Formats: sequence, structure tokens, C-alpha cells
Amino acid sequence: MENIVKKEIKYPFLTRPVEVYERENGHKIVLAHKDGGLVNVSTWVKTGSINEDDKINGISHFLEHLMFKGTSKHPAGYFDKTLEAKGAIVNAATWKDYTFYYVTLPKGENNENLNLAIELHADMMLDPILPENELGPEFDLNDTTVKEKRERHVVIEEIRMREDQPWTKVYNAANNAMYTNHPYKRDVIGHASTIASVPRDTIMDYYKKHYTPNNMTTIVVGDFDHNEILERVVREFDFKGRENFENPKFEIDRPAGETKYVENTAQINTGFVIIGYLGEVACAIRENIGLEMAAIILGEGQSSRLFKNLIERAKEPVFNIVSADFYSFRDGSNLFVQANFDAAKKNEAIELLKEEIRKVVEDGIDEKEFEKAKKRLKVNFAQDAETVSDIGETIGYYMTVCNNLELVEEYLEELEKFSMDDFNDVVKKYLPVKNAVISVLMPE
Amino acid sequence: MKKIYLSNNIPVILKENKETPRTAVCFYYKITKPEEKAGEYSLISRLLSQGTKTRSAEELAQELDENAIECFSEMKQDYIRIKALCLNEDVEKCLDLMADMALNSTLEDIEKEKIKLKGEIQAELDSPRAKAVDAYYRNIYQGHVYGNTFSKILEDIDSIGFEEIKSLYGCLLDDSAKVISVAGDFEEEKITELLNRYFKEAKNGQEKESQITVPVLSENKFVKLAKDDASQAQILMGWHFPPIFSEDYPAILLLNTILGASGLSSRLFVELRDKKGLAYVVRSGYETFEKSANFSVYIATEPKNIRTSLEMFNVELEKIKNIPVSEQELENAKKNLLGKREFILETNLQQASQIGFYEDKGLGCDFEEKLVEKIKNVSIKEIQKAADNYIKDPHVLVVLAPSKYLEI
Repeated sequence: MENIVKKEIKYPFLTRPVEVYERENGHKIVLAHKDGGLVNVSTWVKTGSINEDDKINGISHFLEHLMFKGTSKHPAGYFDKTLEAKGAIVNAATWKDYTFYYVTLPKGENNENLNLAIELHADMMLDPILPENELGPEFDLNDTTVKEKRERHVVIEEIRMREDQPWTKVYNAANNAMYTNHPYKRDVIGHASTIASVPRDTIMDYYKKHYTPNNMTTIVVGDFDHNEILERVVREFDFKGRENFENPKFEIDRPAGETKYVENTAQINTGFVIIGYLGEVACAIRENIGLEMAAIILGEGQSSRLFKNLIERAKEPVFNIVSADFYSFRDGSNLFVQANFDAAKKNEAIELLKEEIRKVVEDGIDEKEFEKAKKRLKVNFAQDAETVSDIGETIGYYMTVCNNLELVEEYLEELEKFSMDDFNDVVKKYLPVKNAVISVLMPE
Repeated sequence: MKKIYLSNNIPVILKENKETPRTAVCFYYKITKPEEKAGEYSLISRLLSQGTKTRSAEELAQELDENAIECFSEMKQDYIRIKALCLNEDVEKCLDLMADMALNSTLEDIEKEKIKLKGEIQAELDSPRAKAVDAYYRNIYQGHVYGNTFSKILEDIDSIGFEEIKSLYGCLLDDSAKVISVAGDFEEEKITELLNRYFKEAKNGQEKESQITVPVLSENKFVKLAKDDASQAQILMGWHFPPIFSEDYPAILLLNTILGASGLSSRLFVELRDKKGLAYVVRSGYETFEKSANFSVYIATEPKNIRTSLEMFNVELEKIKNIPVSEQELENAKKNLLGKREFILETNLQQASQIGFYEDKGLGCDFEEKLVEKIKNVSIKEIQKAADNYIKDPHVLVVLAPSKYLEI
């Protein structure tokens, strides 16, 4: 076998170290052990909306759909039908920094199903043919006479579905206002007009440019012989000398220094708001721990500040739903405070949310809240170790967004020594109200 | 897997999974008395976490979150279930809090909880899909407790009083049959001792037979919901089907798999999505309660496609009723369904929920193994018979779309 560099990573709550292999061409293979009959095979590609501009916005996600439409060896539908007939869940997802494809299935007698999944998965990843008849012809969105509706229409229906979701609407407006130049400002799914008209060759060129060995990590999780599966993955992932591509770097957006406000309307009965903040790059563990803890303290569970102060102790009801979330991206994390409220009390709702955030930033938190958030972050690793799919996804995230699975070990060390002073530094730096983007969706 | 009984005769199903970091525990109250007003049991379920005789709502939330214990109760049509999940080292704390919630709720915060529930429902009903699903259940089970959907709760909730809730909760505590299920890495002796200690005040009621009647659908219904800014039409069509106790249950599961629940290779997915580009989401669904079940087909599509979608549904439904599925398709469906069942039972919480559910329904905690064998033995004829027997009028059709598209 070719020369392959191996590393072992101590991964929390797994019974054996995770093995990370890097091939000469840059393709990474990760093998993780979990007892049981299910296995998960996935490949993560370092491309998503981060590599798009206005002209091709949505192409990463459209390509993800088209990857299931057949190869030189197998026609469209063969992959789904064959693996689902073995009890598999097959699917894929596209986000800002990555696109990933996965199969979860019973490994079968003598790994029969696992071996088949690796073979078909590798074939799909390396030899998609994107047939014209599966895409359907390019068309004008205003042309109502279009008869041949194929995958372009499926993706346009997905776009329509999202247009009808109030949370998606208010999130998209917040996300767009949070960035000035960075590609993150675009919606990952893109626009219907682009999907209707992007030529097949443009999509194939995009595939060839980004689906390169150095941009791909293949992960197998389950109970199997590691040497045997490593050999099989290496054999099936024959890139045939495909050239590598280095992803471009982008200037990282920083908060504008003054609060931004955007408001939209829809045919709804309640109000929706998202307050968004920009954080630090994914590999800045200390800053991200601080912001993750802030999200937990503000809005996770019934003991969170937002729930206690704005729902439980409210004299007059203003809010129906309150929560906070943290998302980590290669070029900067996001913290969101989100709420649904009585539309007649919009101004009061926004002021109350701002005040809760201000109190965390300026008045600090107590020791109990601090310890609670720390414990939650540790338990998240236990949660992520419960299924082969979750283990695969966490590994995929670290390998793709952070470029490094060793950050898992560093994360736990950093979490152990993270202090109240660290927390206060982080929230004071990132969460002042002048850094906030406030997006509101109101009834028409 | 093992079944034991606590000193108060409550059955406990134990499923040991070594080297798993979190233990899951479920506590079931069987609902046998129908609620008189929509939302009564939902309120009880929510109030379980809103204060006990010794802990306020805030103290409960604080203790749970400090220990990263996930503990919440949910009301389903025929039972209330408290689910809890914690690190193995915190299992005693978890049982202490869970038992306190289950057995000692004061229900005092009912007025506040009514306001919170109404607010959450209003937010949920801003989603077109939720609105269509609400109308579907309300109509397919009209006049029955299974039709007590969000919109019905909004109508009834203001008239629900503390005394009614207290009396119903009293019935649950005294009369209702109970089940506990545990899955995780534990020592049997230790967990039994803890369960006996924390649940010793619980009474295993004798009321196992439900007074909830069998719902009847006597005529076709076509429900139109106008939403002028909707980008997609929501279409949901369904029929009453027999529930989990039926001998046709394995065949119905396979019928559902073949028609629209196998993932990317089901008939509805291939014909309406892959070949016609009508939708991103199109599927069939089968949901079983104690006294009834319902089978449905669903699509979200551009409003101008409503008629085509209904025609295509009809084509696929007639096909599965009239043309036998092939040996190969049935074999594929069986493997798909059995693989999916492994997938949905991978975690301790999923396993504890499932074995507790089967025990609560009186099917026995080993029902899953028996079901797997039955699925393997379903014949082509049984699939066709199930489709032909049950996919027939009366049906309920719900369409949500901009008004101009509703003149179908």
C-alpha cells in the first residue's frame, strides 16, 4: 500500500482512540470504533457557499443533489435503491464550509453491507456524471409552459419550502446583515433563478475544481477491522492523479461597531426576532468556549436567563419562545439570541432581549451558571458519542472546518482551565450591543 | 433485557448496554380517561416540571441543568411519558428529580402555563405545514380526543380550571397503570434499589383498559386553508387505519415503506420527486394510537401543481391496491424497514422509550423481536390486502394554498 501517515487521537467517550490517516495525495481517512451492528460511512468535502459568488450562489447545494444522479458504472437511483434495500439511511447536507455525504446501515454478515457501501459511496464521490436529463433543461422562472421538471425543480421546491418558514426568513435577513463582503452572507441554498439557469458544464467544472483529494475526508465509524477497511477505502478512493486545489482565503468580517436593524413582514400572527453576533474563527478554541457558554447561560434550558427572566418571571406575557444558539464556522462563529413574541409588543421585546445580553456582558454571571455551562459542554461530547452518525459528524466537522481532529483533545484541556475571567473577557469583546444585528419579522 | 417489579408492583424493563456514557429512564402513565376539554392532559404534562411540594419550578430547572440532566415530559394521545437522560454518574440525582416531578407536582402554576402554552401554539401555527397538519388531525378525528389539536386547545384552554386538572392528575397518580424503562450502563441491583427508593410512593393503578372510544370517520372531507403569501401548497390526505394491535400491522409498516417512507427509493419519492420534479418533500406516514391509527400521504409543492399532485397520488394509490408488488420490491422493503428499525433504536433513550411504550401498550417488552420475525414473513398478498382494505373512502384531504389555487 502507498505511504500513509497515521495519527491517533484520544476522543472523549469512545472506548478506543480514533485513527487519522493522511495519504500522499492529501486525502484523509478517519476510522473510529463503536460497538454495535451499525456503521456510518461519510465523505466531507471542503466546499459550500464559502466558495460561491452571486453568479453561482446555490451551486454547492445543487451539486449535492446531482451527485445522486448516477456514475459511469451505475444509473441514477441505483445508489439509493441498492443501499436502502440493505437497510441504509443515505443522504447528504451542504452548509457554508462543507458538503458531506453519508450512509448509515447494518454492517451485514462479514461486513458485506459495509463493503458495498464503501464501494458505491466512493464511486459516487469520484465519478458523478450529472446527466442532462436528470438536471432538466435550463429554463426561465417566468415561463409557465415548462413541461420537463427534474432536479432543478426539486431544488426550487426546497427553496420555496424555506420561503414559507418564518424562522428561516428572519435568520436569512440576520445572516445577510451580519457580513459585509464575506461569502457567508449568502444563503446556502441560493436563488431559484440561478438554479433554473445554471448550465450543467458550470456545475461539472465546480465539481472538478473542489472535489479534490486534499479537500476530502472519508470517515468510517463502527465495529470492524481497521486494517481491512483502511485498505478498502484506499483502494476504492482511486483519484487517478486528480490535481489538488487550495481553497481561497477571505478577509474576515468584523462587527461594524454600530447596531444594525432589519425588519421584514409576512402573513403571520406573531413576531420573530434574531439578534446575531459575529465571533471568532473555528480554531480559536478559547473564544468559542466563551461564546458557547454564553449561549447556554442565556438561552439553553429552563434555568437559562432568557427563559427565567422573560418567560417564567414575566408579569405580562411578551414572549412565546426564547433561546440562544452558537454556530462555529471556519471564518468566524455566530451567536444568536432568538425569540418569538406578541407582535403588539415589538419594541418592548427587543429592549428586554438587549437588556438580558447587556447584563451578562456588564454585570457578569455567577459561579453556578459558569459551572453549569462547563458541565453542559462536557456532556455534549457524551451526546455526540451515542450514535455512529453523530460520531461521524463531529469528526467530519473538526477535520473539515478546523482542519484538525487534535483540536478535540485541546478543546477539553482548554475547557478544564477556562476561568471566569476568560468568560468575562470574551463576552465583553464580542457581545456588546453595538456589535449586534437585529432582524425582525412582523405580521403584514 | 429483563423485566422486574418494584415493591409497589410497577413493572420495570431493564436493558443493559455496557460502555455507554449516558443512562436513559422513561416513566409512563397510561391515559385511560378521555379529557373533556382539549389541553387538559397537555397542561398536566407541562406542569410536572413547574414545581413540586419541595422544589419550585426554578429550583427543578436549576438542579437539572446544573447536572446536565435532560428531563422532560410529553403528552401523547394515550399516555404521558417523562423521559430523562443523564451521565451514568448522575443517575441517582436524575431519579430523585424525575420521581419528584412524576409524583409530587403541585400544578399551582396552571394560569401561567396556560399563557405559555397558548403563546407557543400561536408561534407554531405560523408555520403553514403545522397549520395543515393541525387541520388534518382535527378533521380526521373530529369530535374525538385524538382530534384535540393545537387549534382546538386554543379554543378550550381558557375554560380549564385548577380543580379539573387536579382531579385528572389524581386519577393518573392513583388509578393509572405505570411502567418504567431503563437503558444504559448500570448494575441491576443498584438501579433496582434506587428505583424502589425514589418511586416507592407511586401506585400502580389497576386501570389498564382505556375508556377512550374508537373514533369514526363517516364521510369524505375536503378542508381548504387559504394563505395568500404561501410559496408552496401543503397537501395532506389520509385514512383511518388499524392500530398496532392489528395482525395487519407488519404488512402496513411495509406498505408504508414501499409507498413513501423508505427514504430516496420509495414509489412516491421516485415518481413525484425524481421523475416529475414536483416536490422536495413527498412521503407517506403511518401513526398508531391505542384506538386508531391513520395513514397519510403528504406533499409540499408549488401551488399550481395541486391538481397534478393529487392525480399522481391517485395513480400510486391505485397501483399499490391493484398490482401486486414484486418479490424483489418486497424483499428490499423488508431489509429497508429492518435496517431503519436498528437505526431508530441506536441510543439508550430511543431504546428506553420503545421498550416502555410496548410494555405500556400491553404488547410485552419483547414485542420488537416478535415484530421483526413477523415483518420477515409478510407476503405480497398481505401488502395488497392491507392497501385494498384500508386505503378507501372515507378520507380527509387538506390543502393549504393561496386562495386563487383553492378552487379545485
